Amino acid sequence: MTARPRWLAEHWIAIASPITLLLIWEWASATGLLRAVFFPRPSTIAVHLRDLALDGTLWSHLATTLTRIGWAFTLAAVLGVGIGLAMGLWRRLREGLDPVFAVIYPIPSVLFLPLVSFLVPPGEIALILTTAVTSFFLIAFTTTHGVRQIDRRVVEAALHYGARSWRLFTAVLLPGALPFIFTGLRLGLGFTLIVVVAVEIVSASRGLGALLWLSWQILKVEDMYATFFVIALLGALLSYGLAALRVRLLPWVPDVGDR
Amino acid sequence: MSVAVPAAMLIGWELCARLAIVSPRYFPPPTLVAWTLVNRLIAGDLGGDLLVTLTRLAFAFVLAAGPAVCLGLLMGMARPVRELVEPYIAFILPVPKIALLPFLLIILGVGEPAFVLTGASSAFFQIVISTLAGVQTMDPRLIEVGKNYGAHGARLFWKVILPASLPAIFTGLRLGLGLSLVTLVAVEFVAAKSGLGHLVYRHWQMLSTPEMYAAFALVGALGLGLTRGLRALQARVLSWQDEIEL
Repeated sequence: MTARPRWLAEHWIAIASPITLLLIWEWASATGLLRAVFFPRPSTIAVHLRDLALDGTLWSHLATTLTRIGWAFTLAAVLGVGIGLAMGLWRRLREGLDPVFAVIYPIPSVLFLPLVSFLVPPGEIALILTTAVTSFFLIAFTTTHGVRQIDRRVVEAALHYGARSWRLFTAVLLPGALPFIFTGLRLGLGFTLIVVVAVEIVSASRGLGALLWLSWQILKVEDMYATFFVIALLGALLSYGLAALRVRLLPWVPDVGDR
Repeated sequence: MSVAVPAAMLIGWELCARLAIVSPRYFPPPTLVAWTLVNRLIAGDLGGDLLVTLTRLAFAFVLAAGPAVCLGLLMGMARPVRELVEPYIAFILPVPKIALLPFLLIILGVGEPAFVLTGASSAFFQIVISTLAGVQTMDPRLIEVGKNYGAHGARLFWKVILPASLPAIFTGLRLGLGLSLVTLVAVEFVAAKSGLGHLVYRHWQMLSTPEMYAAFALVGALGLGLTRGLRALQARVLSWQDEIEL
């Protein structure tokens, strides 16, 4: 029973500070200290957010973005873990692909849009493929590293006890690499959100990024703030939600990517 | 292998384009791209855009680095500061920083300050959390030993806390620079009228694909060069620390 008051006593600043900031902002915009054209009052933004939610605009854009994230992440995860495992297991494949990946990886994902639009017809598929690129590389890298960092002695012990190919893979290599794979997936999901919003800003007419950009172009500043809030909320849900999921599903697995 | 595979891919692409197995209009042969790249660099217009992007990157990075390292150190050492700032960092961190661009555009107007600040913001948050992690994960025994030997206040900071967090700060700076480049190029792609990102966009719209791929390759080379260069620098400067990194 004492846990809650103590938590509150330790973290009261973290709760009080945003509330205070919002109140000051509200007051400053209301009195004209901040220009309400650029910094509308938080209460006004909240009203606009409610309106966007009530007339369904927000949900349809949100659904579009979530669908894209879902497809792109699935694609990146399946390919990334698959190729990452293969690269971890076979040295020749790793040596061959490493330089290719090293050149492609630092290229900002938005730039792949033109390239992808040459390969597939423009539209949803092009957006999803572009979104998947960065996450794919991230997941592949992390998975490869996960296989590579497994203690040689563990593998040798397993070999001595007669574990071969499939069994070695499922009993030793996969569990050993799992913490890294999970970290890769978590980071990859975060990047999927980041990239999807950027791609939507660049080229889409639907989705949260597009809503933000269109609101800017017609200077609906309150809608901009409201959309930004939803994007931030989505980001928090994805990253902290996945971290919580790991604690539940793989409680023995440490998260290795927090630095 | 590490030479053979990329070489085979390039040769395969070259052949496919030359024999028109893939459309050379969309996928021009790599030799043509390389030729265009060299020509454009000699003509100077590609170099101009490269310089614009580099200048923006330099401003963004310098603007972000100092304040971010200070804030990260402060947050690591003073709990109230951490409690005060953490909610905002946690709120903004998972958001694509390019989403800040429209806000900066209405506040500052369309122009360099808005572009540069958007690039700076992505470096800023990365450097803050890396620095904070550096201070938080340092061995507490180091501080105790320092105190036992009479180091307090400023002396403890300069002799113990700062050196111990340097590897993490450096990692933050390196990641921050990379993120800053990514954001800036994306910003150029959507909003600016110059820079490598804009170049890719413009040549995409005009379907002048050799130029597009040339700019594309230059961005890749820039990213790779910065990452590799800073990694080598880090290994040199902080040679006593081996870094655990993905």
